[in-house]
Amino acid sequence: MNKQRKYRPLTIGDVLINGFMVLVVLICFVPFLYMLALSLSSPDAIINNKVSLFPVGLNFEAYKQIFTYPNFFKAYGNTIFYTIGGTLISLFMSALFAYAMSKQFLKGHKLVMMLIVFSMFFSGGLIPTYLLISDLHLTGTVWAMLIPFAINQFNLIILINFFRAIPAEIEEAAIIDGLNYFGILQRVILPLSTPALATIGLYTAVFFWNDWFNGLIYLNTNQYPVMLFLRNIVNGTAMVGDGAGAADKSTIAMSIKSAVIITSTLPIIILYPMLQRFFVAGLTVGSVKG
Amino acid sequence: MSKKKIVSLALASIMAMSSLAACSSKNNNGESASPSPSAGSSSQASTTPNKAEDKLKFSIFYSDNATLPFKEDWLVVQEVEKRFNVDIHFEVIPIADYQTKVSLALNTGNNAPDVILYQSTKGENASLALNGAIVPISDYSDWTPNFNAKVKEFGLENDLAALNLKDGKRYYLPSLYDKPFYDGGLILRKDLLEKYGQQEPKTFDDLYNVLKKFKAENPDSYPLTILAGPRVLYRMTMPSFGISVGKNGADGSRTLSWDYEKQTYFPGAISDQYKEYMKFFSKLYAEGLLDPEMADPIDGDKWSTKLATGKSFASYAYYDQIGGVEGAATEAGFDLQMYPPLAGPAGAHHQQKSRTGSGIMFPKKTADRKDFEQLVKKIDEIFFSDEGSKIWGLGAEGVTYTMDGDKIKYADEIVNSPNGIYKTMQLNYGAGSDVTQLVWVNAREMTKYDENYSQINATVASMKDPIQAIPPTPMFDDMTAEEAASLQTPLYDTFEVWADGFLTGKKSLDKDWDKYVKEMKTLQIEKFTQMYNDNLKK
Amino acid sequence: MTDTTMVSKSPRDNVTPRSSSSRHFRRYWQLYVMMLLPLCHFILFKYAPLIGNVLAFRRYRPGMGPYGTEWVGWAYFERFLQDPAFWRAFNNTLILSFGNILINFPIPIIFALLLYEVRSKRFRKFVQTISYMPRFISTVVVIAILGELLSPSSGLLNRVLGSLFGMDPIYFVNEPQFFRPIYILTDTWQYTGWTAIIYLAAITGVNREMFEAAEIDGASRFQKVIYVTIPSIMSTIMVMLILNVGSLLSLGFEKVLLLYTPSNAAVSDIIDTLVYRTGLMNQNYSYATAIGLFSGVIGVILVSSTNWLSKKMSGESIY
Repeated sequence: MNKQRKYRPLTIGDVLINGFMVLVVLICFVPFLYMLALSLSSPDAIINNKVSLFPVGLNFEAYKQIFTYPNFFKAYGNTIFYTIGGTLISLFMSALFAYAMSKQFLKGHKLVMMLIVFSMFFSGGLIPTYLLISDLHLTGTVWAMLIPFAINQFNLIILINFFRAIPAEIEEAAIIDGLNYFGILQRVILPLSTPALATIGLYTAVFFWNDWFNGLIYLNTNQYPVMLFLRNIVNGTAMVGDGAGAADKSTIAMSIKSAVIITSTLPIIILYPMLQRFFVAGLTVGSVKG
Repeated sequence: MSKKKIVSLALASIMAMSSLAACSSKNNNGESASPSPSAGSSSQASTTPNKAEDKLKFSIFYSDNATLPFKEDWLVVQEVEKRFNVDIHFEVIPIADYQTKVSLALNTGNNAPDVILYQSTKGENASLALNGAIVPISDYSDWTPNFNAKVKEFGLENDLAALNLKDGKRYYLPSLYDKPFYDGGLILRKDLLEKYGQQEPKTFDDLYNVLKKFKAENPDSYPLTILAGPRVLYRMTMPSFGISVGKNGADGSRTLSWDYEKQTYFPGAISDQYKEYMKFFSKLYAEGLLDPEMADPIDGDKWSTKLATGKSFASYAYYDQIGGVEGAATEAGFDLQMYPPLAGPAGAHHQQKSRTGSGIMFPKKTADRKDFEQLVKKIDEIFFSDEGSKIWGLGAEGVTYTMDGDKIKYADEIVNSPNGIYKTMQLNYGAGSDVTQLVWVNAREMTKYDENYSQINATVASMKDPIQAIPPTPMFDDMTAEEAASLQTPLYDTFEVWADGFLTGKKSLDKDWDKYVKEMKTLQIEKFTQMYNDNLKK
Repeated sequence: MTDTTMVSKSPRDNVTPRSSSSRHFRRYWQLYVMMLLPLCHFILFKYAPLIGNVLAFRRYRPGMGPYGTEWVGWAYFERFLQDPAFWRAFNNTLILSFGNILINFPIPIIFALLLYEVRSKRFRKFVQTISYMPRFISTVVVIAILGELLSPSSGLLNRVLGSLFGMDPIYFVNEPQFFRPIYILTDTWQYTGWTAIIYLAAITGVNREMFEAAEIDGASRFQKVIYVTIPSIMSTIMVMLILNVGSLLSLGFEKVLLLYTPSNAAVSDIIDTLVYRTGLMNQNYSYATAIGLFSGVIGVILVSSTNWLSKKMSGESIY
């Protein structure tokens, strides 16, 4: 099919679509370029409004400075650990749950589904959740990051939906081959669902990567994720500013803010290109052996 | 069947959870109520014999500011741990979220540290204190001799008494100032002032004329700009008009002001003084003298840009911030200078200030420690003794400074640092952080700045009552506090919207004022004032 | 062994005779076992903390137990239901949310469909990657960049408008009529690429043979999109729509808070910012909980009715 496409002549539609996509790329990328430029510019140039898309007074001071912040690399490592660990646990739990829940004939299916949906709209509030997690003796351990948030209802529902779309005949064939349900999930459903799993995995990974609040309340200083660090630098002055405290008095140079944003988001941004190879319907229905 | 199963499973786990929660909260209560023999002030006799030189260990919540990131190996921390033979476990918490973490620890009693820095009993903490989540440290004043001595030395007895809550107890050890600091105010381009042949402004009318001149010379500019929204401007200029409203004060008074003569609160937001104040600033706005981009909080970068590039020439801000702008400015002779408070209808006053600041708090469970007495005594020594407070403020003698008779001489590398003494002391050694330094001697601090700063401080100190005391906080119990809060929010919302309207001329001070007053009265500003006055200390 | 006995019946077959519920369990017990661990986790972490909602009916006094001290009945509900500020916030929330869904629900779908039509695989991947990058810029920074762009004194937009049309500078972030467009368009910018990922994953799953069959039938490109792609991803679209409508009351709180100025308060005060000011800033947890519970109930009503409607009209539903 792709081969066929390649030889087709370019139509006006193609030109329009490609032109539109170029525009999208520009709109989405320019702010990053701007921040990159800021992070590499001298503070004087920034204050004097000279920086646009390319660094003025190129220097790496901002990066040097954030690398000297105590615990920066430690926090970075923590975040990577939470992201990988959290995503794996989450995918495991969600896949099990979603596969079972994709079978509408199971008894209690509707009830559980409603439990899942309704819980999206209610939360017990901060203090009860905090008490629960601290009563389970999870606070101050990495498990407080990894376990309580392993199932996200939104992702779960999306995954259930994807599993449901897999034709039943494929499963029937697997059953004939002598597989049990665990086997079907592992050998048939999961390989068939790589785009869905990659999507959910990405969403989950980004959740863990970006989380700072749970890190703040459940963990100790040396376990803090890097996003808490980012927030402190980027928001610290913007959100507080209530009293005549230090926050009103001193601000952090824009170059440093930008450098922190770049360093703490780059790794998660390159995750998607890496996952994109799963976005091929490698196995189509027809290619599954009967 | 399976439905039942699932339901019962769900129920069972919920029940298990809740009983778990109940159990543990019982445990917590049990713990705090259980007899811990050495707690309480009368148990000195029975204290266990000190194992001679055992290090005292305790954990501490530290509020960390990204501009001054905490380092465990700071000289001051090392020095204190060594000198006082303690092992401090610092929980370093970002300032933006410090209150959240403290609030959770105090509300739940779980995972609280032994000591919390940078706290006071404003807002929620007052309720927490009255409901027993915080140690009433004033009950243990025998154990804080150094603190008591400093209070006496600075003459802060009344200030201290003002911190007592409804039950007559004080729940924290505040930081102590011998004199209030004039650390921010009107800053102006001194070079331009001279260039345009203008006199240093002394009154708000002078300021108007100066700004007018700036505008005339630079029609494209907005001479006066503001940092972080109108809040800072309000805070620093209103006292000269006899009011103080619109600040984001944690005490919640916000739409009220304090009458220093009558010693009562009055509804400042609908007072004639406020009308007068708005008249002045709306005039500035209408004539293009005040930066219109002040509604959304202008952040530090934008603010610096405006001043450095000559888009603005004056602002209300803090002295510390001048250096950054000057460093970035390219114009020859660029000179930004801070000036004493301007005189208005009610005299020349700067933002109200207290001579006590946030300080040390002990969560309830710390009192259960067997060595609580020892801990309190140690904390008192570490933060309030001459020796201890000097370390937090100046670092270690012989390393960061030496004494030349009475004079403090800072080490050469500090004096020569491009960051200036004050900043270098903070960043490299941890000295002079307002989280850990709890004793502030104005003259001593001034040695860390250039002469200009101490000169301005001296000028301001010689004025008549330039910095008024912060009005007393009413003695609400938590129920009244809740009621006051529910009145306060709509009042403040309305005030803010109208303030913006008056300032920008969308609402006319002449025509719409009565309507505004009526609206505020409908929202019960008078009852709100009454609540405040009724609950003042007799 | 049991597996082979199942062959005769399709696993999809849900008309299992009532009498054979033991056979049902014998056949499908593995699926129930599969569900056990996640379900327990779910109930423990999502449902156990819901006990905290008693605070909506009990007065919370700081330091005196996490579940309040005394029953106050509906007092907190009455308080906000009678508060005109609440209804203003409620309306603002609904209007902003509806506008947001109206614009930002279809855009990622259209984007995903268009993107899939891009021929060069490499370019497609490149666009995909770049388009989801804005998701990672923190809200504070987005608002800061926006402030620069829209600033009346130095902002690019005002300069362009000024030089092209001779317009006077507009203080966009402070004018109430621009608040909603700003909110919605920044969302478009931030989340289009991100949300499109789900649809791209769905499109990837579309059976290739269907395209080929359509091509043989002589379908044009546009017809293929309309008759093959969209129907194939319809269930994903509907699920997303139901979830979106259900979360109508939850908006980007931080963004609204950052865009909030006294001038635009009349349109920018939403439920979350109101709760923030009345409930959380004054530590009135009970009040905040009551409003949260109310929003939750509305959310459930919305999601159930959308689900019901969707089931009626398209046959798609999430439960």
